[in-house]
Amino acid sequence: MSAVRQKEMVTGRVDYPRGAEVPNVVEKLFALRNQCTECNVCEVACSLAHSPDGTINPQYARLRIDHAPHKPSRVNPLGIGFVAEICHHCGNPPPCADVCPVEGAFYYDPETKAAIIDQDNCIQCMECVPGCPFDVVFVAPSGELLKCDLCGGDPVCVKACATRPEMLNEGKQYVRLPVLFHEEQAEFNAISKQKPEARDEVGMMQAMLERGEISSSA
Amino acid sequence: MESRLLRVNLSTGELTGEVIPHSVFERWIGGSGINNWILWEHFLTHDINCDPRGPDNIFIFGVGPLAGSGAGSGVKGRITFKSPCYNMFGDSAGGGKFPYMVRFSGYEYIAITGRAPRPVYLHICNGEVELRDAAHLWGRDTAETHALLQQELGDYPSKAHTLTISQAGEKQVGIAGVVSDALRIHARGGGGAVLGSKNLKAIAVQGNGGIRIQRPENMLAWSDDFRQRIDGNEAVYGFKRRGTLGAVEMYQHIGSHFWRNNQGNMFRGDEIRSDNWVKKYHKYSEVCSSDCFIACDGKYKIDGSESEAAKKYAGETFRRPEYLTTGSAAGALDVRDWAEVAHWGKLTNDYGIDNQDLSCSIAFLMELRERDLISDRDVAELFGHEQTLRWGNMDDIEACVDAIVFQKNPFGELFRDGPYYGALKYSEMKGQNFMKYATYGKGGASFTEEMRPFPTWMNNMAVASRGADHLKGIGLIEKFQRKDLSKIYFDGRTEAADLSTPELKGACTALVENQVALLNSYGVCLFHWMLDPAGYTPQDYYGQAYAAATGIDYTPEELMLAGERICNLEKAFNSRVGMRREHDTVCERWMWEPNPEGMYEGKVAADMFDTVLDEYYEWRGWDRESGLQTRERLQRLGMDDVADVLAADGALI
Repeated sequence: MSAVRQKEMVTGRVDYPRGAEVPNVVEKLFALRNQCTECNVCEVACSLAHSPDGTINPQYARLRIDHAPHKPSRVNPLGIGFVAEICHHCGNPPPCADVCPVEGAFYYDPETKAAIIDQDNCIQCMECVPGCPFDVVFVAPSGELLKCDLCGGDPVCVKACATRPEMLNEGKQYVRLPVLFHEEQAEFNAISKQKPEARDEVGMMQAMLERGEISSSA
Repeated sequence: MESRLLRVNLSTGELTGEVIPHSVFERWIGGSGINNWILWEHFLTHDINCDPRGPDNIFIFGVGPLAGSGAGSGVKGRITFKSPCYNMFGDSAGGGKFPYMVRFSGYEYIAITGRAPRPVYLHICNGEVELRDAAHLWGRDTAETHALLQQELGDYPSKAHTLTISQAGEKQVGIAGVVSDALRIHARGGGGAVLGSKNLKAIAVQGNGGIRIQRPENMLAWSDDFRQRIDGNEAVYGFKRRGTLGAVEMYQHIGSHFWRNNQGNMFRGDEIRSDNWVKKYHKYSEVCSSDCFIACDGKYKIDGSESEAAKKYAGETFRRPEYLTTGSAAGALDVRDWAEVAHWGKLTNDYGIDNQDLSCSIAFLMELRERDLISDRDVAELFGHEQTLRWGNMDDIEACVDAIVFQKNPFGELFRDGPYYGALKYSEMKGQNFMKYATYGKGGASFTEEMRPFPTWMNNMAVASRGADHLKGIGLIEKFQRKDLSKIYFDGRTEAADLSTPELKGACTALVENQVALLNSYGVCLFHWMLDPAGYTPQDYYGQAYAAATGIDYTPEELMLAGERICNLEKAFNSRVGMRREHDTVCERWMWEPNPEGMYEGKVAADMFDTVLDEYYEWRGWDRESGLQTRERLQRLGMDDVADVLAADGALI
């Protein structure tokens, strides 16, 4: 697989010389643990969007759905769930690019500032795989290394997710949070720190009652 | 567009791969269409009147070209065979992960014939196929079998996904289904009995091959648009939260439940009447079909504090009950506790058995006992011991389930093919006609909803190719009285949505059957379409996605013809096994017993039944007297070859 379509998707190629100061990615991808329904939509959409010949294969996707056993909690009473493993777009240069021995194997999207692997220059030495602190540089069955490129600023996984905000906005109030976010760090921190009561249906109804948005007789 | 078909002959152990050429896709679209064609071709060289439990029957699994294609409209696999319980055409759809993962394993269609000398399971991994010993899996339920197989096969090149049968399938119980990943059942028609008769315990797939999309740009654009349409439809949000359980309250309002073997049509019990189950037990969505933009499924956990009955099931988790799980437990059997309803769902799934046939069989016997038509001694004779048959009592119900699943006693043996054949055999045994108390249509078990006031639904039940089935020609236009949709489908006429007239009811069945056949052949979920049937037309809108996935550019008219062709092939199969107009009928209870309560009190199916059936045949272009197909219509559909076969069998006009 080549990265032809991948390059088309980002807004243009800019090489930064090693050691140069590069602005950080502002809007990153985040996944909330244990909210995922494992519908595979993100993997399907990602692999299709990045495939040069229109092949869907979750093993070529730039994010993965993993079973993530978790301690039961109020928001996750079953203590089981799935999590989308996704690139955190660490500061520039990111650790994966930092350990890369090849000049030009990583480049940056000037629009999103995301670091992207150039499949033509990559020698598939796999240094970046252990180099990633979050284990989200993946190796495709063909040996190709896969890293999220933020799709030029409009990630298909976030758009397609079955728990995308549009899907959850029942009665214009979130009954629970979406799984994938394409947000600034501060914004995401604020969202993820919301109290669980504010998210579940009963808590939400209570809050709406208090704010006078609904009446108890309804 | 090409696809791979795996042929497995279990008698000889022969495994052959075949290519399904582009031309077959052009004619039969994919999914259930291609399954039907493989079935039809098989019975050109084998005796169509063979024993469905014998080695000559064929079991076909197939998945359509839009499944897992990024279209976001869900994934549905399809199994097709000659039904062992109804002795006619049989097929059943199911979702979950198996139909999605099978596309990465190298084969999208699997056709199984013969009979293995000892229990085996089929393992497919990246095109490599092997029959393996299944002695260690025999005698286990679907959940255990799935867990053992996943453990045995490991995580490389992908997790294993399975299609398994339970003990009921092994014992060739006619109402046993096949379960995908231990979560979702292909229940209808007895696929489990076919696999059981072939000594095939499971199919396990692994793989990391890809799905090839012919025009990826178009598919990405289409799915973007489709997602926006879904997000703009308010009905979808409620559906995501509650799934089909949302129907409970509405059906209570219009009197459309199936209470105590349809002696009533409203749920009793304060709690069960509303879908507040969702608030009480529903945790967060955990299990979904793959590649679905809605993700309506969820999981429950009973922690024991919810009710008295819940104590017994503390700690149990499973998929939340859908409407028909609720309809069969809270309705047909009058179970009044949500924890028990949820447990019923898990029980029938683990035993891989159709809860519609099962609940109607048990309810039939309970009604006989309630009416004192049989005595405690008769019941003891059936069960081999003293057995109470109290409505809604889970212990009694579980005793009946065990009897059927494990074929323990005469009751289990009598009702192994569902309520119709069970009632027939029991009437014969007692020398008394009990058929009045059995609910069925065309030999198939009832679908546990009240249907007497709804002529299109009654017509669906009577003509469905797999017997008493609502999914082949869903009459939603009429049930929800959607005059707007009727106008779109029938050039401005609104009668299809009007319950007071038989006009356009048969026409509606014929039209929707063609549309549903198309959707089934695409391999997508019906619910995306049902949530907005006018918006997501299978021939027009989905047709664009089909073109993107397969490269086959069809006009909406050509696609509708293809849908009609698929329906006609199913009909032709049934004509060959001797089904005629007299078989297109429903049970006495629906036909003659007035609807006892609710908004539509007093209605009987017989009011409009024959008029609607006549209209259905007319729209289909079939002969009214015999119900047989005509050469003229088959020729117009390009099915001369099928017409010749039918003519040779004397089943063509």
